[in-house]
Amino acid sequence: MSTPVEGSTPVSTGAQTPSGLKTLALPENASTHGPRIDALLGWSHRIEAGLAAIALGWMLIAVWRFRGAKRAASDGGTKRSIAFVLGLALSTFLIVDGTLLVGSEGYLRDVLWNLQVPAEDPRTVRIEINAHQWSWEARYAGEDGRFNTPDDVVTWNDLRVPAGVPVWVQLVSTDVVHGFSLPHFRVKVDAIPGRVNQTWFQAAREGTWEVACYQHCGTSHYRMRGELRALSSEAYAAWLREAGRQALQAYDADDVAAHWGWDWRTP
Amino acid sequence: MSVDHKQVARRYLWSGLGFLLLGGLLALLIRWQWAWPGQPVPGLAWALPESRGALTPPTYTSVFTMHGLVMIFFAVTPLLFGALGHFVLPLAIGARGLAFPRLSTLGFWVYALGGALVLVSFGVRLGPANAGWTAYPPLSTTAFTPGLGQTLVTVAVLCAGVSAFTYGLNFVVTVARCRAPGMTWGRLPLTVWGLFFASVLNVLFVPVLAAATVLLLMDRLLGTQFFIAGAAAVGGGGDPVVYQHLFWLFGHPEVYILILPAWGMVGDMVSFFSRKPAHGYRLTAGAMGVVSALSGLVYAHHLFTSGMSPMLGRTFMVLTLLISLPAEVMFLNWLMTLWRGSVRLTSPMLAALSTVVVFGLGGITGLALGAVATDVPLHGTLWVVGHFHLTMGAASFLGVFAGLYFWFPKMFGRQLHEGLAKAHVVSSAVLFLGVFGGQLAAGYAGQLRRLYDPYQYTYLKHLLPLNQWTTACAFLLGAAQGLFVVNLVWTLWRGRVADANPWQVGTLEWTCAASPPSDENFERIPVVLRGPHALSQPEVLEQLGRDWVGQAEALPAEAPAISGPQPLLERTS
Repeated sequence: MSTPVEGSTPVSTGAQTPSGLKTLALPENASTHGPRIDALLGWSHRIEAGLAAIALGWMLIAVWRFRGAKRAASDGGTKRSIAFVLGLALSTFLIVDGTLLVGSEGYLRDVLWNLQVPAEDPRTVRIEINAHQWSWEARYAGEDGRFNTPDDVVTWNDLRVPAGVPVWVQLVSTDVVHGFSLPHFRVKVDAIPGRVNQTWFQAAREGTWEVACYQHCGTSHYRMRGELRALSSEAYAAWLREAGRQALQAYDADDVAAHWGWDWRTP
Repeated sequence: MSVDHKQVARRYLWSGLGFLLLGGLLALLIRWQWAWPGQPVPGLAWALPESRGALTPPTYTSVFTMHGLVMIFFAVTPLLFGALGHFVLPLAIGARGLAFPRLSTLGFWVYALGGALVLVSFGVRLGPANAGWTAYPPLSTTAFTPGLGQTLVTVAVLCAGVSAFTYGLNFVVTVARCRAPGMTWGRLPLTVWGLFFASVLNVLFVPVLAAATVLLLMDRLLGTQFFIAGAAAVGGGGDPVVYQHLFWLFGHPEVYILILPAWGMVGDMVSFFSRKPAHGYRLTAGAMGVVSALSGLVYAHHLFTSGMSPMLGRTFMVLTLLISLPAEVMFLNWLMTLWRGSVRLTSPMLAALSTVVVFGLGGITGLALGAVATDVPLHGTLWVVGHFHLTMGAASFLGVFAGLYFWFPKMFGRQLHEGLAKAHVVSSAVLFLGVFGGQLAAGYAGQLRRLYDPYQYTYLKHLLPLNQWTTACAFLLGAAQGLFVVNLVWTLWRGRVADANPWQVGTLEWTCAASPPSDENFERIPVVLRGPHALSQPEVLEQLGRDWVGQAEALPAEAPAISGPQPLLERTS
C-alpha cells in the first residue's frame, strides 16, 4: 500500500511562488466544483471590501467634515432621513445577502447536498472513513463492491481516488468529534461518534493534496494529517486490485477491531 | 459587606481587568507558538521546566482553551455587565439601586468562586481544561480528558453562568420597575437599551448553557451518557450533537450579549460627542430589539458542517443573513448621527468610533460565514477566529474602554489623562486590525484554528511570515495596554479631580448625582422631563446659553410644570 504510485506528484504546497499575494489567496483548487465556490467567495469578498470601504470612508468624511463644527443639527432625524436609512439598509441587504443566498442555494442544490449525483453515476467511488485520535482510517469495498468483507482495502492517512470521477465519502468517528476537510477541494464535514455523515467531491486532475482535521480533537490534533492522491483511472484500478489481493492474504477473521465497516447507506 | 451596586461594580472591574490580563497573556502565548513553533518562550522556564519554557502540545491545548474561557466568561462579560452595567444602569434610569441588591452581591461572589476555580485549575495535576472553550463532548468527558482541571473549569463556567443569570434578571427587573418618574421607555439612554436587551438574552439563554454544563458534569462525574455515543471507551447511547445544539443555542446569543451593551454605548456616545440627538433613536432601539429576538434563531450556522439536515441548514442560513438587516439599520443610524453634528474626538468618542470600525469589519467578514456554501471552506479556519475576535473581542473591548473612559470620573471622581487615553484607544484599535486582519488573511489561505504547529501541513508552510507579522502586532497590542495601566495608576494616585459634568451631557448620572455618587445615588429622585440626547436644541441654546440640558432639568419656560422639590408620591398620583 505504501509503494509510491507512478505519476504521483509531491504534495502541493503553494510555497513555490514566494510572492506575498500568495498568502492572501485561497488554497489552490483541485476539485471540479471548486471554481464555482471560489467565484462565490470571491464575489462575497469583493462586496465585503466595497462595503467596508464605503462605511469607513463615510465615517472618516463625517468626522473630518463636521469635527468641531459651529452648529449641529437639532433633530434626531427627519422622516426623509429615516426613510433614507431604511431604504439604504434594505437595498444593501437585498443586494449583498441576496447574492450570497442565491449563490449558496444554487451550489447546495447542485453539489453539496445533492447526493443523487454520485448515487446515479456508475463510476462513483465509495469510501468509508473512520476518524481516530489521530488518524484517518479509510475503507474501500474491494472487487466485490461490498463493505466489511475480506477483500476490503484499508488505508491509514492515505486516501486514493481516481481523478474526474465522483467520490462519495461516508464517515464516522470512533472516539471524539473530528472534522474531515479537504482544503483544496472545499470539502468539510464532521466525523461524529454514533452517526454516519456523508459528502462527495470530484478531483479535477491528478496530484497529491492534504487531508486536514479542523475540529479540536485532543493533544495531537495538529498531527492528524492525511494525504489524498488523485490518480488516473488505470492507476487507481491497478492499485485497488493489488491492494485488495494483499488484503485477502492478510485477512484475519479474529481481528474484530478491523471489522468496523458498515453497509453502504443510500440517501 | 456592601450591597451597593457601585461597590459591586468596582469589584467586577478589578477582577475583570485581572482576568483580561490573564487572557491576554495566554493569547500572546498562542501567538508566540504560531510565530516560533516549539521555541522556548522567554521567561516561561519557571512554569514549564521540562521543556525549558517551550509550549508542548498539551500545554498549548490548555492555553487556547483557557484563553477563550477566561476572556468570554471572566473578562469581557463581567466588565461589560458586572462593572459598567452594575455601575451605570441604576444611575442612568434614576434608581436608588438595583431591584435586588443582595442578589447582585451574591452574583459577584459566585463569579469570584468561579474565577478562583479557574485559577486553581492551573495548579492541578494534568493541568487545566484542554477540550477547547466549547468543550465538545466526547472530548470533554473523562474518557478523553480525565484531569481534574476540566471538571473545575466546567464548574467555573457554571458559576459564571449563574452570576450572569442573576445580574441579567436583576437588570431586567430594575429597568422594568425602578425607573424614575418620567423615565419612559422612550427616554432611556441607548446604553440602557443595550444592557436591557442583553440582560433579557442572559435570562433566556444562560440557563441553556447551564443545562449543557450540568449534563456534561453529570457525564464527567456520575457516569451518565447524555453526550457519549459509540465512544470506544464507554459505548453509551447519548448524542454528542445534542451538546453542540445546546451549547450554540447559548453560544450565539452570547455574541450579542457581549456586543449589545457596546452598541448601546456607541449609540449614546456618538450622539453626545456629535452634540446632536441620536439619529433614529427609536429605530436604533428597535433594531437592537430585533437583533435580540433573532439572536436565538441563528445559532445553528455553527453546525453547518455537522451533517445537519439540509432543510435546517437552509433555514438557519436565511435567518442568519436576516440578522444583518437590523444591524445595518443601527450602523447607518450611527453614521447619520455623525453627519451634520459637531464632532468632538474625546477619548470615549475615539473608543466608540473604533468600536464602530472594528465591529463593522467584524460584521462584514461574517457575511461569508452565514451562507452555507461560503461557510464550508472557511469553517474552522482563522477566518472565523478573525471575524469573531473583531466583533466580540475587539469591539467589546473597545466598548468597555469607551464606557470606562466615559464613566471613570463618575466612578472615582477623578479624570483620566485624555492624551494617554486617546493614545491607548487609537493604538489598540489599529493593532487590533493588524492582529485580526492577519488572522482573516491566514484563515482565507486555509490556516485551521487550534493547531499547535500549523506548518505540519505543507499547504500552510508559506503562512509563517504572515503569522510572525501578526504576532508582532499582538505583542505591540499587549504593550499598548501599558498606556492604560499607567493612566489608571497615575490617576487613582494623583489624578485631577473631575468636573461635575466633564462631557457636558444631560443624562441623570451626570446631572443629578455627585461624583462619585452617594450610597443613595441621588439626593432626591429626579423627575425626568426629556430623552437622553437633548443636545443643540435651539430653545436650550437661547435660554441656557449651552448646547445641552439635563434629562431632569427644567427649562425656564417649563418651570411651572415642576415647582420645587415636591414629594414624589404626590406628584405621580
